[in-house]
Amino acid sequence: MIKRLQDKLNVLGPFLGLIFVFAIFIALAPASFVSGYNLKTIITQTVIVGIGALGMTFIIISGGIDLSVGSLIALVTVLIAKTLTLTGADSATLVWGAALVAILVSTFIGFLSGLITALWGIVPFIVTLGMMQIARGVAKWLANEQTVVAPVTGLNTMMNVDPEPAWLIFAPGVWLMIGLTAIVIFVLKYTVFGRYVFVLGSNEQAARLCGIEVRLHRILVYTLGGAFAGIAGVMQFANLTIGDPTAAVGLELDIIAAVVIGGGSLSGGEGSALGSILGALMMAILRNGCNLVGIPTYVQNILIGSIIIGAVAIDRLKHK
Amino acid sequence: MQRIILFISAVFILSLACSHSSQVEIALIPKGTDIMYWKGVHAGGAKAAHELGVKLLWQGPQKESDREQQINIVQNFISRGVDAIVLAPLDEFALMRPVSAAVKRNIPVVIVDSGLQGHDFASYIATDNYAAGELAAQKLTDLLGGAGDVFLVRFNEGSNSTGLREEGFLAWIRDNAPAIRLVSTDQYSGATMELALQTGQNLLNKFPNVKGIFCPNEATTFGLMRALQTAGKAKSVKLVGFDYTDAVANGIRTGEIAGVVVQDPFRMGYEGVKTAYAALQGEIVPLLVKTDVIFVTAENMNDPDIRAVTEPEIARWLDEK
Repeated sequence: MIKRLQDKLNVLGPFLGLIFVFAIFIALAPASFVSGYNLKTIITQTVIVGIGALGMTFIIISGGIDLSVGSLIALVTVLIAKTLTLTGADSATLVWGAALVAILVSTFIGFLSGLITALWGIVPFIVTLGMMQIARGVAKWLANEQTVVAPVTGLNTMMNVDPEPAWLIFAPGVWLMIGLTAIVIFVLKYTVFGRYVFVLGSNEQAARLCGIEVRLHRILVYTLGGAFAGIAGVMQFANLTIGDPTAAVGLELDIIAAVVIGGGSLSGGEGSALGSILGALMMAILRNGCNLVGIPTYVQNILIGSIIIGAVAIDRLKHK
Repeated sequence: MQRIILFISAVFILSLACSHSSQVEIALIPKGTDIMYWKGVHAGGAKAAHELGVKLLWQGPQKESDREQQINIVQNFISRGVDAIVLAPLDEFALMRPVSAAVKRNIPVVIVDSGLQGHDFASYIATDNYAAGELAAQKLTDLLGGAGDVFLVRFNEGSNSTGLREEGFLAWIRDNAPAIRLVSTDQYSGATMELALQTGQNLLNKFPNVKGIFCPNEATTFGLMRALQTAGKAKSVKLVGFDYTDAVANGIRTGEIAGVVVQDPFRMGYEGVKTAYAALQGEIVPLLVKTDVIFVTAENMNDPDIRAVTEPEIARWLDEK
């Protein structure tokens, strides 16, 4: 019973925080803040961090961390732009093929991080810190240290605030995020793999004694993280329409913050997909609201920082 | 045994001396290596080095905000014993000490692109960023027929060159265009294009009647073009930006960017290396050289004299295919 109540609180906490932030801006910001179009803008601006945060949720629940996500996103934008330029992007198959290849590369790098972490027993902070530099370097190298212009393709409309056809209401990228969130919620809750991820993060020793293949699951978790970073990278490309090797510098920290605001614990065993998306949404609301009110950027930094610490502090209190 | 050691050290010293006397080495240190702009500087420097028969050493920080790393690069070049340094300082104060250290060791330093406090460097070669901002204001006012709502998206806090462009832009509008209403002038985009895009979308939502936008550099210009595209307002809102890349050129061609102010990075690198060499030879060099800017639009982008600036011969001087 109490466990169930705690589960509810875990999602409720970030949700209440979200409403609180939203209410403040309704009071402060001009009426255009709550216009349908602005709300659509906010949710579109959540997509990249949100999708990245879904992958990060697996990793953080398992007790790990991935610092390479921002670099992977940049690498993916460069890979797509390069592939599209080289092939001429004549057919839709080619365009989606380019996106798929880039996601696969990102997934493979995630797999490598997992493999090194699991086999050599190096802490993931170090492995992914290294991978962050490597992926960034490869992106710059492939891009010849400049932005890569790509031909116009259907990919570019994935993040349009006003989608075509109009009955979609939200950009295709937003629907993708919602769909992926539903899948991750299901996987974490109802599949053996999902439950193992929680066990892995709560008590690795126990997991091992229970006969769970700890190494295998660790590798799987980072591979998934790489895949989600890849999808987030495709969305970043859709947003910029060019390959940008300097894109998303430091974005992994926004993504980790989203997971933490959403109830994820860096010591593992806790976190939820919905919470992470709400965390990402809260940061997008903050940025948008500050722009609309005309609050300087440094106040945004202070606010987001306070919310990260506040969210974790409230979490601590709940556990006492 | 002692003889052998003596012999080895003699060879070592001799080789050191040789490597120094054989060819003059000039270090060219950009703010970053990632954007087209710095490639132009590099190519210009390479051309000057080729003409002078000197060796050009090119190294910059990995991130265009990493002052610490740029300081280290300057220090490393000093210890390597280069003959002269051409530097685009990331910060007008933070780079003062390493530059003084170089000058104390009789290594002349030429500052390019962005200003540095102090007086011990040999020469300062840069765009007049304030005047460039004024030019952008004048062009945008012309495009709007002298009236309408306009906003400015500032780049990152603490960037000297973009800050001057922003101030020049605002001052010109205030003094010369009474019918232009500046609706937002205090929002910074942050360092990446994605952030500029988001800031742009948010500001467009707040000011749906805006008629013109000014952006002070490449990241903001491209980010705002994307914001206008996603808002369905490209072409109807006049976007005046800064700097020239392939992506920006496409925007100008389609009319989604009304025009950009373009600097001459190739000439900056070229003059920088030439001036450093002249200073090294003990010649008297001018303390301040201002390189011109041009305004590139869809109409003039194919003119030969414009293309000479926007498409410098990078491949020829940097051996790139």
